[in-house]
Amino acid sequence: MPTDDHVTDLLPAYALGCLDEEEAGAVVVHLASCDTCRAELRTYQATCGELVHVAPTATPSRELKGRVMAAARQARSTQPAAASPSLPERIAGLLRLRAPAWGAVGLALVTLLIVSNVWWWQRSTGPSAVTLDSGMRVIDMAGVGAASEASGTLVISDDGEYGTLVVDGLPSLPADRQYQLWLIRDGQRTNGGVFSVSLEGYGALVVASPDPLSSYPGFGVTIEPAGGSPSPTGDQVLAGTL
Amino acid sequence: MADADYAALDDGTLIRLIALAREDALSELYDRYVRLVFSLALNVVGDASTAEEITQDVFVRVWEHATQYRADLAGVSTWLTSITRHRAIDALRRTGARPDRNAVTWAEVAPAEEPAVGGPEVATTLALESARVRAAVSELSPEQKQVLVLAYFQGLTQSQIAEALGMPLGTVKTRVRLAMQHLRAALGDLALA
Repeated sequence: MPTDDHVTDLLPAYALGCLDEEEAGAVVVHLASCDTCRAELRTYQATCGELVHVAPTATPSRELKGRVMAAARQARSTQPAAASPSLPERIAGLLRLRAPAWGAVGLALVTLLIVSNVWWWQRSTGPSAVTLDSGMRVIDMAGVGAASEASGTLVISDDGEYGTLVVDGLPSLPADRQYQLWLIRDGQRTNGGVFSVSLEGYGALVVASPDPLSSYPGFGVTIEPAGGSPSPTGDQVLAGTL
Repeated sequence: MADADYAALDDGTLIRLIALAREDALSELYDRYVRLVFSLALNVVGDASTAEEITQDVFVRVWEHATQYRADLAGVSTWLTSITRHRAIDALRRTGARPDRNAVTWAEVAPAEEPAVGGPEVATTLALESARVRAAVSELSPEQKQVLVLAYFQGLTQSQIAEALGMPLGTVKTRVRLAMQHLRAALGDLALA
């Protein structure tokens, strides 16, 4: 969708999370390169945040606070393990998500995963990149630097032509910044597309590439000015190898 | 730091202290917003036990991921309710249940009947917000309220709403769009505060 073809009319429903998948996917793709619509979306998201005040109020049991504080202590003591779920667990979690930002995932990632029966891979361990029986490749991208808790998964189709990146745990960025995927080969870094993440740190990108993705042995994500840069200029947050 | 000091801190400061693993800060945030979080979860899933599980999940997630909060993108209450709503709708979809008995109807939206939670300042702020939001929603047509409820509290897509109500998809889309545009205009500075 061209950048000048705004998705203004779809943004109210997108903010509410009630767009159907195809339209949500179109919005996600458009938002990746449109400052105007991202700013417009933010106003609707803020409006959605206020709707909670219409719900009739209710009070939970007195015991709940004790359980929350105990669970928080437990989570803190086991955080390293909890912060590193296996790739299949993450993919399973991502597939269960139905937040608005996952409309594009529904279109691209789910199709790829279902076709390839990625669940078979669940018993695989260790390597950061795996080739499934179907020929589809799943590349585990690890958080680096200040984003060490972040993670990503790049799924490349069996013919190497198409790819989808999904990320989790990346900090939301100011309006003038976006994440940018780099395709790395022979020391050269080629733009793979720009994306933003939700308040919860989720994001998705349908990867654009001049050459088959399978021809790039390395991948990285950096923080760049909104719209992307010709070459990396900001901090790296994710890294992975084929 | 004494309890009284935490009660005097603003939401953003509490989140920064939570990121530093200060349990008292989490305790204070819980006191301020647990009713908001629990009420939203309950209105989505319709079951108190599940709503408590979701509430616990939300506050533990805040505890673990406080460093990801961006004050320039959303207020703390917006962040909390966004997480809550996604978790609750996810739970609703997993079970396949539709809590019609407890569903919010918004048919009789009136000024807030009681302040919410937390200290006097937070309670007053939440009560004022509630009154303004209720006033704005009360200006919507019954048809617009109906589609908003199904989208916001039950997580239905526009196609599912059209099917559930037996009306053209285009009509649902128009109602959603006009309702949200009205609310955005009516709430304006409040929503972006």
